[in-house]
Amino acid sequence: MAERPRVYKTEGVILKRRNIGEADTIFTVLSEREGKFDAVARGVRKARSRMRGHLEPLTRSRLMLAQGRSLDVFTQAETVDPYRNVREDLERTAVALSCVELVDRFTIEHAEAGAIYHLLVALLEALDEGLQATVSRHFELDLLAAAGYELQLGACTLCGGRLPAEETLLAPAAGGLVCANCRPVAGEGRLVSVAVIKVLRHARSVEIREFGALRMPPEVEAELRAALGAVVRYHLDRELNVPRYLRDVEALPG
Amino acid sequence: MAGGQGGTPEPITRLIEAFHRLPGVGPKSAQRLAYHILRVPEQEAAALATAIVDVKQRIKLCSRCLNITESDPCAICTDARRDQSVICVVEQPLDILAIERTGFRGLYHVLHGVLNPMEGIGPEDLRLRELVVRLKEEVTEVIMATNPSLEGEATAMYVQRLAGPLGVRVTRLARGLPSGADLEYTDDVTLSRAFEGRQEI
Repeated sequence: MAERPRVYKTEGVILKRRNIGEADTIFTVLSEREGKFDAVARGVRKARSRMRGHLEPLTRSRLMLAQGRSLDVFTQAETVDPYRNVREDLERTAVALSCVELVDRFTIEHAEAGAIYHLLVALLEALDEGLQATVSRHFELDLLAAAGYELQLGACTLCGGRLPAEETLLAPAAGGLVCANCRPVAGEGRLVSVAVIKVLRHARSVEIREFGALRMPPEVEAELRAALGAVVRYHLDRELNVPRYLRDVEALPG
Repeated sequence: MAGGQGGTPEPITRLIEAFHRLPGVGPKSAQRLAYHILRVPEQEAAALATAIVDVKQRIKLCSRCLNITESDPCAICTDARRDQSVICVVEQPLDILAIERTGFRGLYHVLHGVLNPMEGIGPEDLRLRELVVRLKEEVTEVIMATNPSLEGEATAMYVQRLAGPLGVRVTRLARGLPSGADLEYTDDVTLSRAFEGRQEI
């Protein structure tokens, strides 16, 4: 591996933080060039810290870091976009955090993640511009593809045969939709409606903003969410924390 | 470990280990503290030991505001001179000490945490149910004094949504520039809020 420079600059989205000691915090960042990494900000919890507001989760910042013994150390931070409309809205914050949790789970430290970085920035921008929360479904599909789990939606994943317009099995183990003949060998999955299949195909063919303009009936939206949630859980093989919170928030009055 | 490490008597090893478990105390500091205790007069050591035991035995949570207290309800909740219609909601008991210094004379409610969805800390992990019960009493205003972080803001918005249907006014502490701040290094959100909240001088 080429020797890393002792001081380097990068741009990234702050995913999460963990306080250590009296005034230090470890931040997890997703950057275009360095992938996901942890770095420590010294004294960042003190009132006079110059970096404090620039290192909030869900913020995109320009960062300067110095190589440390175990963890690199932030030396400067400047906000590029705080996505203020996201953080000032309870639902949008929850949706953004649910996507950040997926990013955190689907990436490994210091591995290349340029494509995922751009997906996350596009999602945060879409939410910040006030597009519907359903943009997170588009993000999930794109993230699955970028992580190597792209869903096959055009033809039967197993035999390549044509899929009639009817309820069809979405089988994560097989990697997508499976025709009625192949069902016995497709592994676990769930049946999805024709409407959901159409929305899934539409999502793969358009940009996130265009998808955000699509209005769908609540029952289709709920089915889509459950179907993609099951695929994500299958690949991660674990329950996620944020979806439960998101349901709590959605259940609030007003 | 009979006899302790490297010939150190067992009671000292035990004390070093106990200090080492405290936040921010490393192995060297733990040793220094333990040897310090060894040298101090016995009454001083006994006073420290009693203070530690007392804190665990006599301090509990106030059943109304959930602040730490020796008597339940706590001295703040039972003080008739305080405004009973205003509740200031904070994350931790320590926050109350800071707010008391400002001269605030209403009541408090301690959530014992903030919403942190990524870490799996949701509404059911905070003392929100107790707050909602209090809001149905003669409360007219809730002041959200959670930290101005992503988690603190989310918690404030969450409480606002809970309190809205009960007809209680929910306010949030103003956000702006702290004393001694540098405009150049202030983040965009804080600076925009400072502009929005500017006042005539």
